[in-house]
Amino acid sequence: MSKASTSGSMTSTYLVYGAILLIAIVQVIAAMAMGPSLWRMLLLAAIQAYLAVMFFMHLRDEKPTLRLALIPGTLFVLVMMNMIWADSFRLAVMKPFAK
Amino acid sequence: MSDMSVHAAVHGAPTSFIRKYVFSLDHKIIGLQYYALALVAVVTGMVLSWIMRVHLVWPNAPIPGLGALAKVGAPGGVVTPEYYLQLMTMHGTLMVFFVLTNAPFAAFGNYFLPIQIGAEDMAFPRFNMMSFWTTFVAFCILISAFFVGDGPPLSGWTGYAPLSAVGKDAGPGQGIGQSLWGISIFVFCIASLLGSLNFIATTLDLRTKGMTLSRMPIVTWAWFITSCIALLAFAVLMPACLLLILDRVTGTSFFIPAGLNVGDHIQPHQGGSPLLWQHLFWFFGHPEVYIAILPAIGIVSHILICNMRKNMLSHRVLIYCMMAIGFLSYMVWGHHMFLSGMNPFSALVFSFPTLMITIPATIMTLIWLGSLYGSNLRINSASLFCLGFISMFVSGGVSGFFLAQPSIDIYLHATYFVVGHFHMVMGVAAIMGVFAGTYFWFPKMTGRMMNETLGRWHFFLTLIGTYAIFMPFHYLGLAGNVRRYSAFQDDFLVPLIPVHKFITYAALFTGAAQLIFIANLVYSRFKGPQASPNPWECTSLEWSTPSSPPPFDNFGGQHPVVHHDPYQYGVKSSTGDYIMQTSPGPGAAS
Amino acid sequence: MSQADLAIESLSPHGAEAHGAGVMEESPFAIPSSKLVMWLFIISDACTFGAMLFAYGFIRNSAADWPQVFESASIWNSLLMTFILVSTSLTVLFAVKAAQSEDRAGAFRWTMVTAAGGILFTLLHIREWLSLIGQGARLFQNPWGSPMFGAAFFSITGLHMAHVVGGVVALIVVGLSYRSGRYAARHIEIWALYWHFVDLVWMFVVPLIYLLNMKR
Repeated sequence: MSKASTSGSMTSTYLVYGAILLIAIVQVIAAMAMGPSLWRMLLLAAIQAYLAVMFFMHLRDEKPTLRLALIPGTLFVLVMMNMIWADSFRLAVMKPFAK
Repeated sequence: MSDMSVHAAVHGAPTSFIRKYVFSLDHKIIGLQYYALALVAVVTGMVLSWIMRVHLVWPNAPIPGLGALAKVGAPGGVVTPEYYLQLMTMHGTLMVFFVLTNAPFAAFGNYFLPIQIGAEDMAFPRFNMMSFWTTFVAFCILISAFFVGDGPPLSGWTGYAPLSAVGKDAGPGQGIGQSLWGISIFVFCIASLLGSLNFIATTLDLRTKGMTLSRMPIVTWAWFITSCIALLAFAVLMPACLLLILDRVTGTSFFIPAGLNVGDHIQPHQGGSPLLWQHLFWFFGHPEVYIAILPAIGIVSHILICNMRKNMLSHRVLIYCMMAIGFLSYMVWGHHMFLSGMNPFSALVFSFPTLMITIPATIMTLIWLGSLYGSNLRINSASLFCLGFISMFVSGGVSGFFLAQPSIDIYLHATYFVVGHFHMVMGVAAIMGVFAGTYFWFPKMTGRMMNETLGRWHFFLTLIGTYAIFMPFHYLGLAGNVRRYSAFQDDFLVPLIPVHKFITYAALFTGAAQLIFIANLVYSRFKGPQASPNPWECTSLEWSTPSSPPPFDNFGGQHPVVHHDPYQYGVKSSTGDYIMQTSPGPGAAS
Repeated sequence: MSQADLAIESLSPHGAEAHGAGVMEESPFAIPSSKLVMWLFIISDACTFGAMLFAYGFIRNSAADWPQVFESASIWNSLLMTFILVSTSLTVLFAVKAAQSEDRAGAFRWTMVTAAGGILFTLLHIREWLSLIGQGARLFQNPWGSPMFGAAFFSITGLHMAHVVGGVVALIVVGLSYRSGRYAARHIEIWALYWHFVDLVWMFVVPLIYLLNMKR
């Protein structure tokens, strides 16, 4: 088990905690000021998620094999789901790629 | 590291009947429970298919006893067109979920995966018990649909929306029956997730000393890969069922478009899309096909190697092929939807990986055939069923080439061609794998041999019978016979009725032939000759247990130590031409 | 699923026993089986939430009149909820740290603080729900536009809330059992993983459900 990681200094944890909250605030303010951009929001959420998985959930301190077993498969499944978008637009206006 | 607790046998052997056979924690009993459940489901499903076949060719013939079960659906025992669809839905759901997922994966996997890796039990025995009983609850919920309201749903095992989503306006069974279906599948998803979590943890954490990942038998790998697929596939079906239930119960419209006229009035729904259901369902549904077939592939390879007395040309490549299939299975679900109104561009994109799946499938077939060539195959019921599996896998798989291409699929979609295709490659092939596994492992599971003569009769009658049923399906499909029609009167399909009659006779005959199997199972369980500890002279760990069936902790308090790759055949040793995985000393170079 | 989650640990047989070393192959990940199972459950659940969010996006794309609902008060409320949930991720880490140094009282205290944060989050969320319901939003209709807005909002946040509630129950059970010595430190660690995952899902729910539908 990853004893070293959690019994070590909590400094990085505090930093990550601050960073996640900061990103959350930036996200809200940016959305209010500039309008919600899907890509910007997803990027920021992905950064938050990365920080949470790696530092809060200590995946960074586990063996690389665990990261390899968990992350690519999940991302692959989620990426494949994007194949549904073409149909969602198409139904609204009945032509491919229309938005 | 000290709390890397990886030991299962904390619980002692139970003595009471309830703890031993009903709420058992023993993976072997749970495996048998899954097997029994699958047996009940397969018999039920087969009887349903009989009724459907009889109705197809003799639409006015009363079925004895059916009138009492379904007063509305089959007045006087004569099946109505709606009840035909209801029977078909139950046939499909029972077969896909409770037979093809349960028998090769959950039943044999539960029984033999821990033994093959030298474990005393699954990693989480209570979890294991829960997953069986959750499956059982799902089964009961599904079966109860026969007895409530106006019967089971009629939307097919795929539960296509909006038919499945709009409620009882959509026809008999679409009220309470369809809701029960949705709940049953939801519960089944939970059970499967519990099961696959357990399988993965067991395979990774409970391997005995020397049992490295590369020393695991092919079939262990197959169960492992299957559980990885199931873990992520059922996770997608679960929210789909949730949304379907919401649509039905709370009036949301995830899967129902605006202005839908059903039952002579406009449905009070708008904003949803039936395509969304198909996407979510088939995102699970295609991996599900491989959940059914991969364990059978593993079982067949394992048994063939033992009976060929030599390793496959490359059993590693077989494992890589299974991984490739598992990977590709998530990229191809749209090939079920070429004619659903899906974006034509997506059809092109889905067609490509679908055709790519034929590459690992072909490599596997070539490895089987190439290994069989020139081998001195021991002919017995188990190895015969393995050959039957390969035959079915190829015959059914070849039609997949046609269906994978959108332009050809336009003609063949929703015809009997498709029905023939998936019954052969997914249904019968997987069942052949289950039969092979049963004949092969029965001595280990009961301590007695199955009757060989009956086994061979069973094989040849089944092989001939299933070909006689499902090969003509392809011709019917090419002739334009659409599936799910309940009768063929006054239309262009009338000339095909003789073919249908032939198929019905073949189905009745093949179903009756399965009685041989049941009789063999029951007879051999009690009267079969005693089996030696390793009757097939097989090398893997399940044949190293001190008794058959294995004791409660599988290895009688011992921890087996593995010294060899799984398939050391055709070598000189003190035992004959094979070296057990557990026997110390040098083996052949792997 | 949350009931089943609870069972992972309480039902797993190898609490005290740990005599695997020497007769077993080492686990490739060098983590306890129960932790591996929690990780696997998390990726599976990630796919479940992924499918829900994809379904929402699909419906939203195809709707011609998708409403822009959330006032800035709702947005600030969601930010407050984010703050609470992320903070409980921190407190549960304190609990893990305390548990790893065998500080049973401290671990119990921090677990309870975390559970309290979860309850607070749920209450704020219910307030948000009630305010929307008060304005006429239902699962099947709403006064602003496509009826699917309510369906998507309530089903996705509802599923998330169910996970929060399940997590709260689990944390209380695990905290109590840890204090009484029935559970080991890794049980706290494992349920902390789950709690972080609930937090992680919320990080996607906020932008996709709240920010994307804010009033402009």
